[in-house]
Amino acid sequence: METNTQRVEEFKQEVASMHLSAPVDASERTWLLVGIGLAVAGIVFIVFGWYGASGEAEVAKQVPYIISGAVVGLGFVMAGCALFLRYSLGRYLRFWLVRDLYEQRAQTDRIIEALHATGRGREEF
Amino acid sequence: MSSHEGVDHDVPLLELRGVRAAYGRIEVLHGVDLAVPEGAVVALLGPNGAGKTTTLNVCAGLMEPTQGSVYLAGRRINGAAPDQLARLGVCTIPEGRGVFPNLTVRENLSMMTFSGRSLPEVEAVAYERFPRLAERRSQLAGTMSGGEQQMLAMARGLATDPALLLLDELSMGLAPLIVEELYAIVAQIAATGVSILVVEQFARTVLGVADYAAIMASGRIVQVGTPADLEAELSSAYLGG
Repeated sequence: METNTQRVEEFKQEVASMHLSAPVDASERTWLLVGIGLAVAGIVFIVFGWYGASGEAEVAKQVPYIISGAVVGLGFVMAGCALFLRYSLGRYLRFWLVRDLYEQRAQTDRIIEALHATGRGREEF
Repeated sequence: MSSHEGVDHDVPLLELRGVRAAYGRIEVLHGVDLAVPEGAVVALLGPNGAGKTTTLNVCAGLMEPTQGSVYLAGRRINGAAPDQLARLGVCTIPEGRGVFPNLTVRENLSMMTFSGRSLPEVEAVAYERFPRLAERRSQLAGTMSGGEQQMLAMARGLATDPALLLLDELSMGLAPLIVEELYAIVAQIAATGVSILVVEQFARTVLGVADYAAIMASGRIVQVGTPADLEAELSSAYLGG
């Protein structure tokens, strides 16, 4: 067999030019926290808007509170919830996939055992 | 000891310097220093719980060191994602084979087409090295023997044209004859210039193909040398003498 020195040189060059980014896990946690933060900030905006609007008798004076409180706050809450769902679901689905793989493997092992028990399985070499 | 031709042993392809790693608050690696020279086979030996698999996980990017550095071809790669390293050519064959039991051999191999190679190319490489897999191409991987599953795991790894191969407990659950057959293949792979770090609990066979070996105990490298140097140290490392 040939010695693959060219491949090793390619590897070295690729390693040298590799862009190192933050680990996915760390960035996922960050986005999850950003999502929670946005949702909490949104609720604070809404409460502030409600508090401000409730103290004003005139509709015209209530409008700024509704805009900055309810609309912006609602936007924050929606964006925060979307981020939270995206990153918590991603993590959950990965665990689900691993568990599914594990169960499939256990299931296959049980089938093979049953086949061996009935004398239909292949002998281990 | 085997010595592989055409390789430069000066710059380690993989190097760990003072690596510490922990699962939560429990530190399992307490300052590991280890080097895999270019084109060499390095065996990492030690008893169960010594930290060998954790060391391999750190090398593969699956765990980030809490302290210390991991160097690949002289570049510090702490924080590199495992898929990034896999794409570059760092191939990990995990303990327990890691094949998809409900997929056929061919379907398992098709998983490696992410590397840019077509399925016929991947199959050609796999069947050339492991002719037995060609006979079983339509068989479900889970119904094959342990040795054949290990061959499939190796074939899948080799399909990515790795420059560095990380092997974890190749011998686990296999008969000694099969282990010898697999290590003969490891020696063939090493002869092509692929650097290999192999973690093993059962030392005898791996020492036959390794250029260097390191003994690990309680999260530390306690001895490094050639297989001949270390053979005498093995029993005390395993028995804690």
